[in-house]
Formats: sequence, C-alpha cells, structure tokens
Amino acid sequence: MAGKISLFGIRHHGPGSARRLVEALDALAPAVVLIEGPADASDLLPMLADPDMVTPVALLTYAEDDPSHASFFPFADYSPEYQAARWAVRRGAILRFIDLPASDRLSNTAEGGMDEAAQDAVDDPVSRDPIGALANAAGYDDGESWWSDVIEENPAAGPVFAAVADAMTALRAEARPLSAREAAREAHMRIEIAKAAKECDGAIAVVCGAWHVPALAERRSLAADRELLKGRPRTKIKATWAPWTTPRLARASGYGAGVVAPGWFAHLWETRPGDRAAVWLAKVMRVLRDRGHFVSTASAIEALRLGSALAALRDRPSPGFEELREAAIACLCNGERAVWNDVAAELLIGSGVGSIPPATPLAPLLEDLQRQQKAARLKPEALERPLTLDLRSDSGLMRSTLLHRLNALEVPWGRLMDAGRSRGTFRENWQLRWEPEFAVRLVENLLYGSTIAEAAGGRLVEAMGKEAELGALATLVRNAMIADLSRATAFGIAALETKAALTSDGQALLDALPPMADILRYGEARAGTAEHLAALMPRLVVQAALALPYAARNLDAPAAARLRAALLAADAAIQLAQLGTEIVTTWRDALAALLNEDQATRLITGTAARLLYEAELLTADRAADLLARMLSPGTPVADAAGFFEGFFEGAGQRLIHDAALRGAVDTWLITLDEDAFIASLPLFRRVFSALDRTERRRLMDALFARSAGGDRGYRLIAGAGDIWPDHQARVLDLLTSGAPR
Amino acid sequence: MSEKLRLPAEESYAAELKALAAGETGHRPPGWALSPRQVVTYLIGGKAADGTTITPKYVGDRRLIETAVATIATDRALLLLGVPGTAKSWVSEHLAAAITGDSTLVIQCTAGTDENQIRYGWNYARLLAHGPSREALVPTPLMRAMEGGKLCRFEELTRMGSDVQDTLITVLSEKMMPIPELNTAVYAQRGFNIIATANNRDKGVNELSSALKRRFNVVVLPLPDSAEEEVAIIVKRVGEMAQNLDLPAPKNVADEVARVVAIFRELRSGSTEDGKVALKSPSGGLSTAEAIAVMIGGISQATFFNDGKLTPETLASNMIGAMIKDPVQDTAVLGEYLETVLKKRRGFEGYYASLTDRI
Repeated sequence: MAGKISLFGIRHHGPGSARRLVEALDALAPAVVLIEGPADASDLLPMLADPDMVTPVALLTYAEDDPSHASFFPFADYSPEYQAARWAVRRGAILRFIDLPASDRLSNTAEGGMDEAAQDAVDDPVSRDPIGALANAAGYDDGESWWSDVIEENPAAGPVFAAVADAMTALRAEARPLSAREAAREAHMRIEIAKAAKECDGAIAVVCGAWHVPALAERRSLAADRELLKGRPRTKIKATWAPWTTPRLARASGYGAGVVAPGWFAHLWETRPGDRAAVWLAKVMRVLRDRGHFVSTASAIEALRLGSALAALRDRPSPGFEELREAAIACLCNGERAVWNDVAAELLIGSGVGSIPPATPLAPLLEDLQRQQKAARLKPEALERPLTLDLRSDSGLMRSTLLHRLNALEVPWGRLMDAGRSRGTFRENWQLRWEPEFAVRLVENLLYGSTIAEAAGGRLVEAMGKEAELGALATLVRNAMIADLSRATAFGIAALETKAALTSDGQALLDALPPMADILRYGEARAGTAEHLAALMPRLVVQAALALPYAARNLDAPAAARLRAALLAADAAIQLAQLGTEIVTTWRDALAALLNEDQATRLITGTAARLLYEAELLTADRAADLLARMLSPGTPVADAAGFFEGFFEGAGQRLIHDAALRGAVDTWLITLDEDAFIASLPLFRRVFSALDRTERRRLMDALFARSAGGDRGYRLIAGAGDIWPDHQARVLDLLTSGAPR
Repeated sequence: MSEKLRLPAEESYAAELKALAAGETGHRPPGWALSPRQVVTYLIGGKAADGTTITPKYVGDRRLIETAVATIATDRALLLLGVPGTAKSWVSEHLAAAITGDSTLVIQCTAGTDENQIRYGWNYARLLAHGPSREALVPTPLMRAMEGGKLCRFEELTRMGSDVQDTLITVLSEKMMPIPELNTAVYAQRGFNIIATANNRDKGVNELSSALKRRFNVVVLPLPDSAEEEVAIIVKRVGEMAQNLDLPAPKNVADEVARVVAIFRELRSGSTEDGKVALKSPSGGLSTAEAIAVMIGGISQATFFNDGKLTPETLASNMIGAMIKDPVQDTAVLGEYLETVLKKRRGFEGYYASLTDRI
C-alpha cells in the first residue's frame, strides 16, 4: 500500500516556513521525511541531531580527485530542512535526501567550471527565491516580513502550505522553461518520492523549495522521468560536515541562495510575533551602546511607536524589517544613516561560528594537503629539517607556494629563515617541522574553503578586511601574492586603494611603500596581477610626498626616529620600484622642501638632505653650505645635533672620502664651546662608532693629512684618464683568466 | 491677483489640498486635515481621488517623507537635518500646510532669540496698569499652536542659545507650558506638534542637549542622488538668480556647472565618480547651494571684470572659498585631490592650473 504524500514548499533559510513546517510535521506525524538535498549524502543527515553539532554548519560534498570542486549546503537553526531533519531523528522517522546526487552536480560543475553558488546565481532569481521575488514585487525588502504579513496573517489564505503551492503554480505558469539540470533534479525527486511511497505505508512528508512543489505534485510516468536522468555524468564524491559562519550565510558573501540578513532571520526564529519588534529594538540598542552611542530606553519606546505608525501608514499588520530600520535610524541614530551602517553589520550579519562533532568524516583540507605533499615530494617530519628552494624551478616554486599558503593558514610547517629579505632573490631557506596539532588547525580552517589554496585565500581576505594599518595591509597583500592567491590579492589591492586614499598620516603612507615596492617587483613576474597596482604605487608616493612636510613637523625623539627609518626605507623602495621620472621628481621635491621647512624636525631634515646628497641632487658645495647653516653657532645644539645625526648616522664613510663635507663638519666642530661639545659627545660617538677600525684610521689619516698639509692619501696622477683603458683591460684579463668559460 | 510677493503653501496649493481632503477615506489623527497617507501623497506627488494631479513638492526618497509623517502622527516632534539647500524648510512648510492647513506659525531661531519669543511675552502697559493677568500676556507662535492644536515650526533650531532651546523640553514631554507668574499653564490641544529644521554641517551653532535631542525623531534630508539632477537644479537656479541680479548669463554656463558639480560631488562623496579612486573630503559641506553661489560669484566676476567670459580662472577663486574652510587641513585635502585626480583628467586642465595656483 502506498503512503500518503504531503508536499511542503518551504523558503530556504526562512524562519517563517521553518516554524510552520515543524507545526505541520507535528500534525501529520509522517513515517518518512524526504528533504531536497543530494541523495548520496543521506547517510550524513542523522548527524545533524548530534548534540555537538552547532549551527551554522554546512554539508560539504566534493569531488574525490579535486576538492576544489565542492559544493556547500549550509544549514542554520532557522533552515526548514534542518528543523525537518531534527524532527525526523527525534521521532525516529526515516530520513532521506532526494535531490540529484552530488556525484552528478559536481561532475557538472567540473565541466562548466562553475560552482554551485554561481550556478544558482545565474539561474532565474525567481526560481531561487520565489517568495523573496513575490515580496520584492510587493515592495518589501525582506521576504520574511512579507511571508508573515501576507501568508501567515491573511486569514483567507487557508493552510499556509496550500497557499504557497497555489502561488507557485501561478508563478511557474509564467516562468521560462526549466534548464536541463533543473528538469533532471525534479525528475529525480519524483522518482525518489515514488520509491519511498512504494516502500512504506505511513504518511510521507516532502520538504522542498516552494518553487518545486507544483512539479513534484504532478503525475508523470516513471519511464519519462528515468529518460530525463539517462546519461547524466557521474564522478566520485566525498561528503562531510564543515563548520560554517553566519557571515557566509549572507548573500553578500557570494552564497547564491544566502539570505540578506542572517541576524534578522535568527531573530525571527528566536522570537514570537508578540514582542518581536521590541526585542529587536533592544538588540539594536545594545549594539549601539557597545559602540559608544548614547541611547536611552525612552528612545527605544519612541522607535517602537514610530515603527508601528510607519507600518500603519504602509498598510502592514505589524512593523517589519524596513519599518524597524527606519524607526531605529530616526529615533536611535539621530537620523544618521552612517551610525546605522556602523552597527548594521554586527546586527544583520553577526559573527557566529558553527562546530561539528569529532566523529565527522575526514576533512578535505587534510586530504588536499596529503595530495600536495605527494606532488611536491615533501614528507611531514617531526624533526627540524632545513630546505633550500630554487624558485626558478617548477618544483621549487610549487613547494614554496605550498609552504607560504600553509603559513597563511597559521600552520607553520615551514619557517622562512631569511624572512627579512625580499623575494627579489631566487632562493628561499626554510626550516621544516611538522607538529601533530597542525592537522587540527588545518581542519579549523575548513571554514574558509575546501582546498588549501581556497582556505588560505579566504583567511587572508578576512585578515585584510580587519586590518587597519596601511603598512600591515600591504604586507598581507604581498603575502597573498607570494602564496599565489589571486583572489585574495585582488581583494587586498582593492582594500589597499581605499585605505590609501583615506590615509593622510605620512608615517602610515611611508610604511606602506616598501611592501608595495616588493609587490610591484614580484608582481611583474606574474602577468596581470600587478597591473592595477602599478597605478596605485605612484599615487601613494605622491600622497606621501604631499603629507611629508606636515608629518615632519615638531616630532619628539622616538617619533622622529620612526619617521626617519620609514623615510629611508621608502626612499629605497621608490628607487627599487623604478617609477616614472615625474613621480620620482615629486618625491625628491618633497625632500627638498623639507630642507627649507623651519618647523620640520631636524633629524628628518638631515635625513632628507642625505638622501638628496646621495641622489646627487645636492651638490657638495650646497651640502656644505647647508651643513654650515644647520650647524651654525646660532642654532640650538640639540637641533644641530639632530641634523648631524640625520645626515651621518649609518653613513660615516662619507666623511672619509668627501673633503668638502669633512671641511664643513670640521669647521662646525671647532666652533663648539667646551660645554656644547661635551653635550654632543654621545652623538658623535654614535655616528663614528658605526665605522670599523680601518675606516676610523682612514678618517684619522684624512684629517691629519689635511692638517699636516701632507699628501699621504691617494691621489689621481696626471693624465690618468688616458692610461686608464689599458689598465682596465689588463685588470679584467687577470680577473677573468681563472674563470670557467 | 495677490499683491503678496510669496503666498504660504496652504494658499498656493489650496486646490490640491482641497482635492485631497475631498477624496479622503483613511483615518485622520485628531487635529489633522488629511490622513497620513494623503499627506505623503501631497509631498511626493500623485493623483487625488477625483483625478486632480498633485505636483511633487519633494523630489527624493519616499521613505524619508513617510518616516517624517509617521513621526508627527505619533505625537513626536520632528527634526529635519541636512546641509543648506536640501529643502528642509520647504518640507517643513508643506508638512504643516498639509497636516493642519496652517504653515504660518513659525519661529525663526537666531543667536538673539530669547525665551520671551518662545514662551510668551508681556504687554508691559497692561502689566503695569493692571498687574499680571492673562490679558497682559503676548502669545508666541508656539503658544498659539498649543492652544489651537496646530503645528509650530522652528527654523534653524540650533542657531539659538542652548538655554533657550531647553525651554522646549517641558513643552515636548509634558505637552504643556507653565506660566508661573499667573500660577497657571497652557495645555496643548490634540494636533499640536513641532517641526524643527537644523543644519548639521555648520560650525558655531549650539548643539542640541541630549535631553532635547532625544525628544525629537530625526530625519536627515540628503543631497541629490545623481549628478544630472544636481546640474539641472543648479542651472535652473543660476538662471533665475542671474536674471534677478541683471547679470547676462554666459553661454557656457551649463558646461562649467557640470564641471564644478563633478568636482564638488567627488570631494563631497569621498570617491571619484567612477568609484575607482577613494578621496578625502574637505570639512565644508559643498552643498548644491554652495555650487550655486560659486556659479553666481563667477558670473558676476565675469561680467564686471572679464568681458563676460566665464572661465575656470574666474570660478576658481570662488571655488577655493567654498572648498577650503580649514586652511591647513582642507588645503592638504584639496592638494591631494588636484595632484592625484584632476591633474590627469581631460577638460579640467584650466581648473587644475588655476586651483593649484591659488592654494
């Protein structure tokens, strides 16, 4: 005897449908519960009822030979499918997925090169969320408010699911024809329902997207349905559960069937209509207060009144999402939409993370790691082992990329030993050591993706989103680029652009330049990625040049030292990046402007003078003049010493070779009276101690040679220019004669 | 034909209000001439029940007007915020006209406004002759609105002193105004409410105390959404004003308006029009009204000093005045904008050169 079939057309992730569905199941007490989901993952369904399973979680199916072809089916507390599965386990009903097996879907995507979410997004938006589409047509932002206003509150509509089925029949009558895949899915579901009906004789509940209800209710011959399924591709798949996050339930994250505001949906699920608006406003108020906004309870009362008035004005039975939002803006945020936007992410998206029981099947990330270890011929060993990689070879690059990606996932299997050096060289030295807890950490990263590449990219994207410092952000982008993660790189570059434009702090801008130059240089090796950046770096340099005179004003010693380091690194980066002459000129002009800026801290002035001197934009004469002016007796000793340190720190050799400069310094030193000289002594020591013994001796020689009027130093003989080519040839000959050809 | 220079809203749009009232079917809150929904229709535009066309009074987001009307319907005071030139006073006048049919109970708040102009004044002759009595009181628009169940409008609320502003707290929360001299009070009739307007970008104003602020629902009126809309508004207004001032309008006004608006919008919104480059915004508002002032200034300079030719040079000095309110910070912001964006843009060479010259 065949069982009675009841179809429940639900809205994916719709709290309204979830609540109605549970009531309907209680009333019907079916023996079999069939859910729209990949049929070959049915075994995993009962795990949903495991007490260790905390939503949001996702059913993850992936192709065995290529985990990057994966699809996720997320479940939240308020997903009707989740509630149906839990109901079935609680009541001991038979529980099954009835949609096309994942083996079919995944082989499809392997051909089309599209993942499930993208596929859904290309599909008609009406078939994806028909109830949302109806709601939008009625002027609602949020399908759930429409559901509760129209489907649930309208007494004439009769039983909710019958009303939904009617609406869908009408909608489908005007929709465009189904794609082959959709038709095959519905055929598969019809066959499975028929099979279940034959097998047992209790009531059968079918939980499927509202869109499919009319098609599943239709009577079609089994043979015709089988025909539709013939010749569908197959691939080997694996399925498991993965922890999920609320932000990734949101449609904005790229999940096609996602919801606009997971936070609002969770709220709808947790509350009853009576006090729903009040509790929501209380939540809004709490978040506002946490962010430091002053909000009184009286204002919340007014917001509730305004929300109700707005609902009445719009002919809605109770305030929904939009009314409460507008009321909150008018009453709680002082009308400022920006304040609302500030709290909206926390309220609407949330930051919940799900967890899965330990007994869950092996995670694809570990499998992916094993596969890549095999491909890269790298064995995990618990002992420290050095590894030198030549990045010019394919295998070297592959290993390096893998290690960098793992580092991005905070699985530091390898540590880069010369991390300070830029990637300009072709050699990397790693220290490898595998720790058992790395496996656990890897599984935690499942959240971000099902392969190491995807997960590393996802994790970096998240870190970039949170990063507030321009320099640190640029470093993250460089890491993404080194780890060959194009999506994260693209995201990072966009973030970098926005952040760079909003930064006016000279220090931050300067800090960002060295990693940027690295990115630029490294990016040149990989076509396309650096294109966007090539325009950003010059802009950053121009911005830094404009901000520099302000940044250099009136700094105390630690701040000045920081700025000096940043200035030197930035100048090196600008030379390295080989920007256009115009940009370099702007930068040098800014340095030159510093020399005439009275309020600039002298340490910075000295540094700028040195950079210009090294770039030969400041002639020795002018440099000597400048030194004389800056070190002249009228200048306070602290200022003069600052300039001196800025100019010479780390560059004491200049004094040995540059007679003009030496003369200027000498003159200044002689003018110092005893007290001032003693006060400046530590400074001189600092500058001159950077010279090694030979250098110091040569400096002494140079000084005494001058003072004695002798000529013990080296000198150019007359006519040196004429005889030099011959000498050079002979020297080169000697040098190269031993080298292999 | 009236001799008045400008009629109040309820007189100039009397026909529309009458048509709306005649076709009224919805529920009217006490003291209201129209139902809230008809008030929204009156402001946004549409059709009355008898087919009369209702002209749009406010062009923009319907939701904002709905929030404003719903606010007054819940007995809450309404505060309209916005930079100058966003139709705050215009909206408040039309709201009052549509809701109570009387938009003339206005108090223009200034730094010199004192409590006597808000609460009540005294007729001193009577006061001296007969002593304090109800007859010796001179009612203010606020007092009259309370007694008559009407809407009272406060223009530029933040311009008057904080101590005077706070007079409103009792009125708003207890809907009554004590008259301690007579040991009595004025109680507001149903329908009484307050609509205030204020400028949220000005400096040197008296911020509302938080006690007062939380007695208002705030609606922020935004600047025009699209550049075309803004250019059209400016060209129209500049044409009208130039005519009033007897200035001949140069031919290229529309082109230059488009360029000035492009610069203003980019700086105001903090990103280039194509969204590719993010920018910093100067501290000034750079509103539509300021763009109009820049154009008028430029045209008058062109007429009197430049043989009627409107050039970027004549506009630049006016633009600098509008863009740089804080000499250090805004100069840096503008300098960055000029170097990173305007330098490379075609058609703006004149602006780049003359603006760079002046900062």
